[in-house]
Amino acid sequence: MLIHKNIEIRDLGLYLVKEKVLVIGDIHIGYEEELNIKGLMIPRFNFKDLKERILKILDNVETVVINGDIKHKFGGIMNTEWKDVRDFLELFGERKIVLVQGNHDRILKPIVKDMELVDYYKVGDVMICHGDDIKDVESKVIIIGHEHCAIGLREGVRLEKYKCFIKGKYKRKVLIAMPSYNLLAEGSDVLREKKLSPYLQGNLDKFEVFVVSDKVYDFGKLKNLR
Amino acid sequence: MIRNKKTPNTSKAVKELLHPIVKKWFFSKFKDFSLPQLFGVMEVHSRNNVLVSAATGSGKTMTSFLAILNELVDSSEKGILEDKIYCVYVSPLKALNNDIHKNLIEPLQEMEEMAGKSLGLRIGVRTGDTTAYEKQKMLKNPPHILITTPESLAIMLSSYKFSNHLRTVEWTIIDEIHSIAENKRGVHLSLSLERLQYLSPGMCRVGLSATVAPLKEVAKFLVGDKRSCKIIDVQYLKKMDLEVMSPVEDLVNNTYENIQVESYKLMDKLIQEHKTTLVFTNTRAGTESIVHHLKTKFPKKYYEVSENGEADSSLIGAHHGSLSKEHRIQLEDDLRSGKMKAVVCSTSLELGIDIGYIDLVICVGSPKSAARFLQRAGRAGHKLHETVKAKIIVTDRNDLVECSVLLKHAIEKKIDQIHIPRYSLDVLAQQMFGMALDQVWKHDEMFEVVKGSYCYSELTKKDFDEILDYLAGNFISLEDRYIYARIWWDKETNEIGKKGRLTRVIYMTNIGTIPDQQGILVKDKGGNKIGMLDEIFLEKLDRGDVFVLGGNTYMFLYARGMVARVSPVPGRKPTVPSWYSQRLPLSFDLANGIQRFRKLLDEKFRNKKSKKEIIKFINKYLYVDEVAAEALYNYFKEQFDYIGIPHENKLIVEHYKDEYEKTYVIFHSLYGRRVNDALSRAIAFAIARSQHKDVEIGIDDNGFYVSFEKHVNVMKALSLIKAKEFRKLLELAIDKSEVLRRRFRHCAGRAMMILRNYGGKRKRVGRQQVSSMLLLCAVRRISENFFIIRETKREILEDSMDVQGALEVFTNIENKKIKIKEVNTLIPSPFAMNLVMQGYSDILKMEDKQKFLQRMHYMVKAKIALKKGRS
Repeated sequence: MLIHKNIEIRDLGLYLVKEKVLVIGDIHIGYEEELNIKGLMIPRFNFKDLKERILKILDNVETVVINGDIKHKFGGIMNTEWKDVRDFLELFGERKIVLVQGNHDRILKPIVKDMELVDYYKVGDVMICHGDDIKDVESKVIIIGHEHCAIGLREGVRLEKYKCFIKGKYKRKVLIAMPSYNLLAEGSDVLREKKLSPYLQGNLDKFEVFVVSDKVYDFGKLKNLR
Repeated sequence: MIRNKKTPNTSKAVKELLHPIVKKWFFSKFKDFSLPQLFGVMEVHSRNNVLVSAATGSGKTMTSFLAILNELVDSSEKGILEDKIYCVYVSPLKALNNDIHKNLIEPLQEMEEMAGKSLGLRIGVRTGDTTAYEKQKMLKNPPHILITTPESLAIMLSSYKFSNHLRTVEWTIIDEIHSIAENKRGVHLSLSLERLQYLSPGMCRVGLSATVAPLKEVAKFLVGDKRSCKIIDVQYLKKMDLEVMSPVEDLVNNTYENIQVESYKLMDKLIQEHKTTLVFTNTRAGTESIVHHLKTKFPKKYYEVSENGEADSSLIGAHHGSLSKEHRIQLEDDLRSGKMKAVVCSTSLELGIDIGYIDLVICVGSPKSAARFLQRAGRAGHKLHETVKAKIIVTDRNDLVECSVLLKHAIEKKIDQIHIPRYSLDVLAQQMFGMALDQVWKHDEMFEVVKGSYCYSELTKKDFDEILDYLAGNFISLEDRYIYARIWWDKETNEIGKKGRLTRVIYMTNIGTIPDQQGILVKDKGGNKIGMLDEIFLEKLDRGDVFVLGGNTYMFLYARGMVARVSPVPGRKPTVPSWYSQRLPLSFDLANGIQRFRKLLDEKFRNKKSKKEIIKFINKYLYVDEVAAEALYNYFKEQFDYIGIPHENKLIVEHYKDEYEKTYVIFHSLYGRRVNDALSRAIAFAIARSQHKDVEIGIDDNGFYVSFEKHVNVMKALSLIKAKEFRKLLELAIDKSEVLRRRFRHCAGRAMMILRNYGGKRKRVGRQQVSSMLLLCAVRRISENFFIIRETKREILEDSMDVQGALEVFTNIENKKIKIKEVNTLIPSPFAMNLVMQGYSDILKMEDKQKFLQRMHYMVKAKIALKKGRS
């Protein structure tokens, strides 16, 4: 489904049709190890699941943009991160990989060695950045991650959370905020939780919601879901 | 072989056992042996396993210690006293340990004074509060009598060095065994006892219990299935003065506020008429509120006024588990020394800490079982030959019925049956982990030790092996296994041992069975503390939601961190399920007693007996006064005239629609909440399965309702449930409910899949809660039958609910012993009113998450289309 002109929703990522660019983000490799360290002895399935899902969305992709937080650990590197980040990048074979810096993966260089890390990435009139701070860059469309967009749908006492994209306006530009590609957690409820990104501090009532499940569901404006 | 000891030994025979010093001491204190002592001392002396059941204050504790002190004094005098632990005394309460310490050390000092020399007997206390220095001292110089808790015992068993001192224990005493056998702490202890017995094969076990039934089960719990045990049942009872009181003459035509005011007046009157009063409230919030109200309403009476006329120290205090240890100990000391006029507690002073002279016990609200009431009442006149005086104050008509029947049971000594959890796989995993720390085990030997416990006598090798596989990390791929594995299990030699450097630390710092229950603090706008909420519950709250907490309704405003802000909205109907974890459930036996009483009244009304005659009957049958009898008469007459009285052979099912056309089907099933919990879920599931709709459930002790938006044929759904598939059905039902998620965290914690302490840090409870959901999802990927999931279901079905009792009811419906009568009402009947007003307890989700999404999508789209059409 097209979320905007030339921009298609592919699973939890975005695909820029003309330029053949795939944008994914907030993968948080190492999250399970972090949970282990916190005392939760969770068995590790996430990475395997993730690889399977990513391999399904690589058709016609020439460039992969990883929009920040490829790994989880702040200010350090955990055991699984060394291996799994490299494994993950190998999924893309010969394709061009662009690593956009996130806030969790400040220390990434020792793993990715000579690969370039950028603050933001521009394709045509689209600017892709993590979203933890504002980038002063000319563009018509902004794509951000960081927020781990999800929406809670409620009926009576039942509340269920789903990963989603939201699309609206930021200073007369089109803003698209993405869900996370971490399959363990749904993310934060844009209706109920405090927004993290400085791009999302205004009134979001007119933002449109696209829920990703077995397919994409267009839920219309956020205010309809209150 | 478990058998009763029917005749006591003679006073002479017991006297002959005693060493001269002990004899001299004993008779300087007491005139003669008490009955429990005549029965028990000889058994303990002969190292027979024995269970002593007698009322509080009848000399039980001294029964067990007399023979042991005697032996130790004798050995000391003969110069053969060894440097070893002779006796391990285990009590469920830490505070109790301090108490026993005093009660043991003092007699010993007195004996030494009489002997004119030191006897060299050491008594040591080891609990979670014992300092490293004290532990070190104990390791060098073990106490002859070691006083401890179940958790500390397990830690000592796995302490590399200290466990050597546990190889020649001769007696283990389990105090308050009735209270411990009822929960997983007891299951845990039963395995520690097996481990201890493995180290000290010659050890005998002594259990001390208050009034409880059936004693045979408790005896089996004490010794396991294979060992013999003698039961000493000395239900030698003190004189009882028990009464149910109503603060007002008419409980119906009185406002809630007025009943409250009158209750405090009545309480104050009773307290003023006595020297020291102990008040039980069931909940922590209730405790605080009573103390607060008595102090503000009657300031002069509850403060000691110092010479300059200013209010000085308080004469009334609150005692419950959330208060600091210092505060509680101070209060207990003040109580013992007679400084306090009254102490108000939740349930925390139920067990046998010596609290000095109490001449009145008041229960505010129903104690929910006759055994519990007797236990509480026993706190008054905590000495032989004193009269026990206890009052129950009731505040509504349901309470009045329940407490009146309870009083009858208490007076007639109809004691409630206890439920001992069995086959708890989470506790087993924890203990097997502990065992692997002690030594390298042969598989079969380890299995046999475990099976020695009554709780695991039916354990299969398959389940045992599944836990070994779990502990060995075999559910994880080889490369990650090192993180999860706690033991090694060599399947060729079939040997088992510990694995990893930090394993012992992980075990020692995460031991135990009681889950952390901090949760979210609830405050009102002024910052006053109202209570606690579970984090999962908070997750569901939207601004403006109304929910029940501690009996009052509040509107949720917002949450910040671990604090939720609310504003009180009295009388508003809740919009989200209530949270009942703190409430005590009504015992099944008491519920049956009430059902019987209902039947008797139903018959009387049918036979058109006169009002006078019926009131006279109530008056006599229930031991209540005439005012209460008349109130009961009116309550039942109203119900009889409206839709009839439900009772043990008649289940009334009431259909009612509220103003929003929502259907309620109310089952007047007075079986207690544990049974109703199971019944309601099975029925809701049968409905949800055939109609594919979410079903709401509301449950209390007196009945339950199921509710839905559209018309549903409940009776048809009911007829589809077969008794033989009842359990299976329930398992499916709880798979869909919230309660599974909540309990899973506790079970995963016990099985040490969620660690409270890891890497030297204590984890915040809130985080455990959210992340345990992730764990549940991941574990389901391993297998839907993973042992922690199975155990969670078992715990819910058997411990939290009463699947057996529910099945009994169901079978009786099937074979028509219970007849169902359906009625339609425009407003709920008097019996149904409370149930409907309190709101829902849970919801059964039939749709899966994806279907739910699709339907919500459809609805939102329709709403948008409609709007567009209008504009």
